[in-house]
Amino acid sequence: MRPLDEAETTQVFEKLFKFTSNNLKNIVESPSHEGLDKNPGRYCFRLHKNRVYYVSESLVKRATNIKRENLVALGTNIGKFTKSGKFHLTIQALNLLAANAKHKVWLKPTSEMSFLYGNDVVKGGLGRITDNINAYDGVVVFSMSDVPLGFGIAAKSTQDCRKMDPNGLVVIRQADTGEYLRNQEDL
Amino acid sequence: MGKKKQKQKVVLPPELPPEVPEDEIEVSDEDLDFVNRNKEYAGFVSKLDTQSITRHVNRVADVKEDALESLYEKRSRKKSLATDNIQLEVDPVDALPVKTLDGQVYYRTAPKAPNKFQNARDEDETVGENEDVGRDNGVMKLTKAEKRAKIKKLRKEAKKQGKEVVEVEEVEQSSQAEVLAEVEKDLSAEEANEKRKFRLAEIGTAMLTDPEGNIKSLKEMLQICKDGDQAVSILGLKSLLAVFKDIIPGNRIRLPTEKELAMVVSKDVKKTRLYESTLLTAYKAYLQKLMALEKVPSFKRVAIRCICTLLEANPRFNFRESLLGVVMNNISSTDDVIRKLCCNTIKSLFTNEGKHGGEVTVETVQLIANLVKDHDCHLHPDSVEVFLSLSFDEDLRKPEVAKPNRKAKNKKYKIGNRNEDKNQLPGNDKKKSKQEMISKTREEVKAEFMAASFAQDAMEKRRIQSDTLSSVFQTYFRILKHAMRPRPEANGLPVGPFGEHPLLAPCLNGIGKFSHLIDLDFMADLMNYLRRLAGGSIDANRPSENFSSRLTVSERLRCCIVAFKVMKNNLDALNVDLQDFFIQLYNLILEYRPGRDQGEVLAEAMKVMLCDDRQHDMQRAAAFIKRLASFSLCFGAAESMAALVTLKHLLQKNVKCRDLLENDAGGGSLSGSIAKYQPYASDPSLSGAFATVLWELTLLSKHYHPSVSTMASGISTITNSHDQVYRSNVSPQQAFIDMSLDKETFTPKSGQKQSNNKRKKGNRPPPSAAAGGGDTVDEMAVRTKLSEHFLLVHDMEENGRLRRELERTKLGLQLYKEYKKQKKQRTR
Repeated sequence: MRPLDEAETTQVFEKLFKFTSNNLKNIVESPSHEGLDKNPGRYCFRLHKNRVYYVSESLVKRATNIKRENLVALGTNIGKFTKSGKFHLTIQALNLLAANAKHKVWLKPTSEMSFLYGNDVVKGGLGRITDNINAYDGVVVFSMSDVPLGFGIAAKSTQDCRKMDPNGLVVIRQADTGEYLRNQEDL
Repeated sequence: MGKKKQKQKVVLPPELPPEVPEDEIEVSDEDLDFVNRNKEYAGFVSKLDTQSITRHVNRVADVKEDALESLYEKRSRKKSLATDNIQLEVDPVDALPVKTLDGQVYYRTAPKAPNKFQNARDEDETVGENEDVGRDNGVMKLTKAEKRAKIKKLRKEAKKQGKEVVEVEEVEQSSQAEVLAEVEKDLSAEEANEKRKFRLAEIGTAMLTDPEGNIKSLKEMLQICKDGDQAVSILGLKSLLAVFKDIIPGNRIRLPTEKELAMVVSKDVKKTRLYESTLLTAYKAYLQKLMALEKVPSFKRVAIRCICTLLEANPRFNFRESLLGVVMNNISSTDDVIRKLCCNTIKSLFTNEGKHGGEVTVETVQLIANLVKDHDCHLHPDSVEVFLSLSFDEDLRKPEVAKPNRKAKNKKYKIGNRNEDKNQLPGNDKKKSKQEMISKTREEVKAEFMAASFAQDAMEKRRIQSDTLSSVFQTYFRILKHAMRPRPEANGLPVGPFGEHPLLAPCLNGIGKFSHLIDLDFMADLMNYLRRLAGGSIDANRPSENFSSRLTVSERLRCCIVAFKVMKNNLDALNVDLQDFFIQLYNLILEYRPGRDQGEVLAEAMKVMLCDDRQHDMQRAAAFIKRLASFSLCFGAAESMAALVTLKHLLQKNVKCRDLLENDAGGGSLSGSIAKYQPYASDPSLSGAFATVLWELTLLSKHYHPSVSTMASGISTITNSHDQVYRSNVSPQQAFIDMSLDKETFTPKSGQKQSNNKRKKGNRPPPSAAAGGGDTVDEMAVRTKLSEHFLLVHDMEENGRLRRELERTKLGLQLYKEYKKQKKQRTR
């Protein structure tokens, strides 16, 4: 377990910024109320076995007691660095992203299942979409009752979405909550 | 002698054309009819006439006293010169009806008695008679002194007419007479004006009865306009306006070319041509006069009124471009009257498109667009508001696609037929040529019919409409862009007379109205503009303060509303969530100040954005509910009522948000990552509103305004009974208007409810209704009784409290006394 170095931090923040834009500040600065300290600590990012964790400071302190090879995980896993050194967000980050998302897409109940099986979102399944999405922005996918289902990358801007036919791709899936069942061993 | 006659004509009242004598019998018949029909009126007139006769007699006597000699000399000369002329000149005055300024036509019914006198008299007396008529009609009322002055004036005219005599008199008369003469000169001008007025009326009536015959007298009217003084020329302009309005044809007059002039034509055609050309030249001269007068301040309103009326009445006639130009120049005038006139004219042009087939609409819209461009958007709001009365035919867009296909099909079909014919009758050339000829003539006839009929080609109509639309939106976008341009802040430029962004409000209204006609490609730009105007800048580098601080809260709210309207009109494609505008509204609610900003706009924003929107984020809804509740604590009854109505809507729609009404803080799993309510968060979804409780409602249920308090307590009971019928049909706007009316009449102390409060209450069981029945009358009775009872109880309690206090003080005093006694005893 170690703090991220410069290059890794930029990679992680760039990825998060895609989804949250200015709300990234909230993620970094939000106070944690864990631990015994009277004054609330902050959250920080820690790298452990190629995975990035979003942990409160008090938890970090306590985790130092555990041997590196014995420590399985701590805090919230938000992503991992691949073998080639790229950073990928994983489905566990969904909670964090959903709370601070800038761009959102709501799915019709009929197309929820399709998305949870790992498919992309087509226009026909779109219930609602935030205004002002540009192509390749990060988008968090919700059900109509505001339950976060996953996230992905916008294939088209909101304006272009208007003109598309119902079968056109709107969101390219990156992670969905179905993964908790599908690839349990990976997570 | 001839010379003298001319001179007389210059000075004398304008004589009537000598063609009338035969008419006289007719008119007098009419007169008789009229008298028979209106006996009272006739009696009235005859009475007046006797008076006038006596006056005449008196005047003659007066004149005799003053200048007997000159009169007599002149009379004798006159008689010798033109006795027949006099008769001609006198009679038609009686024969023709006189149209007064208020538009009534008077026939002189009893001309016989004065005629006798007049025949014996000369023109001076006819003038006098004219004056009398004027007096009878109430046009002018003269005092005694004025009468006397007038008599002198008459004398003066007599002098003018007989020049030699005047010369002789001048030698004889004293210096006093010279002074008198000067005064008389002024008065004679007035006299001439009177004459001109009557002349105007006469010509006007004649023109209206027979425009073709009297077309030439238009010139005379124009002349009168030119050389009269202000009042007379205004009258002249107005009467010309009335005449033109009636006689101008509905189409454009094309003057014949030289070639056509050279052709031999029948008498009728010649006559028509003459008529048209005279009309046109007179019209042109009139317009030129109007244009000239439009620049003179004292004439401006009249001229504009005339121009507007002409344009409105005959938008197809010649010279409409110049008319439009003048109207355009004055559309943003600072003078309210002129501006209203111009705007109304343009509005009526827009609404009555059938009158001119839309061409004028295009021209006008383009002119306005140019005007906005030239003035850099500093115009009066009215000048763009006229766009709102435009109407676009939406059916025009669609069927056009289908038509050409059908035509093509028809053609194919025809060709096929022909081929068949050919196949059937290969050798018969004659028949073929005959058929061709028939079809050719058919086409010709069709083309001619199209040209003759007023129905416009659909293509043409489409072109006109798209031109209009593009100009309108060009203007709107220009205004938006202008509103966005950063102000040169260093130099304190004086703000124009219409405020800083005068055109923004009408522009936003217009966009809201016509948004369904905008092309989808423009939509992105439009939304971006609106977003930036509403205060949220897209690019983070740029401080949003740049724009938002410049626009007022109402304007920014309007931007939000318009954005929602635009989205709503184009909803069929995609359901878009306008997050940024919600954030704006969330923050704008805090910036609202009751006196400064328009509560109606805020109420509309609540209605459009919060009540009408189908779906909400749970977090956002909760945040808005919380903010509205705190908002309604801070402001007057109207605002808080509007806020409460919205709040109720939100609570009804979002069942989960009712958790806010529960007593324990912390929304559980719903509250998300934010554990604590953050009242200062600018983003509603980050405020963590689920972690809080709506304690404001408890305070609000003690609001001084009874309907607000009942509303608040009603809301706080929502969770207890889900299927209660609430006043969900009332919009926040309606509530705001109701209550702001209330505010004027409402006195907080009054125990009685106002009528509309009662209506509002009727929908839900009042808190105190447990005792009374559901009936409203009962409710009232119970209410008054309860209030009396409460007052009584309150008084009793107060009484008791005071008594207790008194006793305590007494006790204290007693103790003190005892203490003092003891002290004294001790010291002893």
